[in-house]
Amino acid sequence: MQNPVRAGRRRRSRQERLAYKILLPALGMVFIIVTIPFVLAVVQSIQADDGTLVGLRNYARALSNPAFYDALRATGLYAVIVLPAEIVLGLGFALLVHRTVRSPGLRATLYILAVVPLVVPPVAVGVVARLIYAPGYGVLNVILERLGIIHQEIEWLSVPALAMFSVASVDIWQWTPFVYLVLFAGLQTVPKESVEAAQVDGATWWTQFIYIELHYLRPLFLLILFFRAADILRVFDHIFILTGGGPGTTTQLLSLYLYRVEFKFFQTGQAAALAVVVLVSISLLYTLVTRLLPLERT
Amino acid sequence: MRRNLSITALRLALAAIGLAAAAIVYAFPLYWLIVTSLKSKAELFASTIHLLPHNPTLEPYVSVLIDRGFWVLLKNSVIVCGSTVVITIAVGLLITYPITRLPVPVSLRVGVLNWALSLRFLPPVAVIIPYFAIVRTLQIYDQPIALIGIYSLFNLPFAIWMLKGFLAEIPLELEDAALVDGANRWTAFRRVLLPLAAPGLMAAATIVFTFAWSEFLFALILTATPNAQTFPVGVQGLVTQFEIIWNDMAASGVIAMSVPLVLMVIARKYMVAGLTFGVIRDK
Repeated sequence: MQNPVRAGRRRRSRQERLAYKILLPALGMVFIIVTIPFVLAVVQSIQADDGTLVGLRNYARALSNPAFYDALRATGLYAVIVLPAEIVLGLGFALLVHRTVRSPGLRATLYILAVVPLVVPPVAVGVVARLIYAPGYGVLNVILERLGIIHQEIEWLSVPALAMFSVASVDIWQWTPFVYLVLFAGLQTVPKESVEAAQVDGATWWTQFIYIELHYLRPLFLLILFFRAADILRVFDHIFILTGGGPGTTTQLLSLYLYRVEFKFFQTGQAAALAVVVLVSISLLYTLVTRLLPLERT
Repeated sequence: MRRNLSITALRLALAAIGLAAAAIVYAFPLYWLIVTSLKSKAELFASTIHLLPHNPTLEPYVSVLIDRGFWVLLKNSVIVCGSTVVITIAVGLLITYPITRLPVPVSLRVGVLNWALSLRFLPPVAVIIPYFAIVRTLQIYDQPIALIGIYSLFNLPFAIWMLKGFLAEIPLELEDAALVDGANRWTAFRRVLLPLAAPGLMAAATIVFTFAWSEFLFALILTATPNAQTFPVGVQGLVTQFEIIWNDMAASGVIAMSVPLVLMVIARKYMVAGLTFGVIRDK
């Protein structure tokens, strides 16, 4: 007579073996595809264009180029404009809809409308932005002129401060709905009882937000910040289309700068060195912040 | 009582104004894109710009798709995105099935999920330099296969996290019942799990398709001719020309966004879940 516990255990270990048999080849393949480029980037970064080893010279050159710091500054400025605007507007709308719109139909409609900008390809968003801001044909100037607000064309894309504003406005247009959706969903998790209790105690709009709702939204703010910050490091498409990084290098964010070093100046070694620096910094940042994210990992 | 009523009225008015402002800011750019895409060539050079549709014509669409031959790019996009979806979902299932349905150590499951998450934060521009070299070496430059491979990799994190969520929701007992009845694992997977997970798979597939459809940087760098160029690359070509043909550019923009918008109708409930790795689930 076989011991049922042992049979169960054997069945379990057979299942576990099956798990590894399926998992390991798939994971291994992906791991190799991901890792090869890293290794290659490091190799490229210590080589000259003719393949001779030059040690850290590429790093020294890349990091001593003032254009790199201009790109960092532009990225920082972009983040400082875009993140607060998106969070404030997204939060404002989430609270507004949460507290004033009761009809489920209207809420569902708003949900769908908010998803629309998120699925429009950034290239198409860049096209839309061109139709609005471009010199000569941009419709924003036409409207402002007809309303009598301006009498002379505003050069949205060639005055540095305005160019940064224009490029940032596109990001805000596309991503505020994301913030709205996340925070609105978060507001639905606030227990009705505690809100009602607070209202009985005379809580106002503001105190209800600060003392109750904010508590439930806090992890979501972190999630939004993290995802959006990662996206800002990779933002490329709409800027490439709208200003191409210009005027000068005003809107040349980090990703556009890296693109330029590699594919316009053909400095592969320096571009690889920059790529390694970016990858290492992101990994460090990632390991520091990721554990705080409210993700279900089990 | 009256005071409360007037405050409520004021709030509702403010809410209405806020929503109306948002509606204009969001609707107008898209409206203007469509209006411009329906303009005739003659109207482009008219001295006044009409804000309302004025003799709309489908001429720009014909010009973009036929005269400029962009239908080929559209075809490339469909091939690349379709293949990406198949590979991503297949590999995603190979990775998520064992960690959700079979007894593996918790640390392995958490490790796989964390690793997938970390891939989400890989900036494409930082890895494109080595990928460019690899693609050149493998002699797949300007071929769809290069894009398919890279898109599959970059969409895998989303797929893993979404599929993990969907698979974990299906009770283990259902599969166990089939196994007890003598089915083998594969049959149980195909006959029991797959049909139950189908809505989730569809959603994940749609979202992956949408993301791949929008991708621009890799396509710009790894393709050079209509042999492999995807639609966004074509759109970009119309924008950075010396003289911009506004109506054609707008028409290409409308085409580029229409596909994800149609697909969104299928996957709308899961869109936000996909973008937040399953943190936001309801609705």
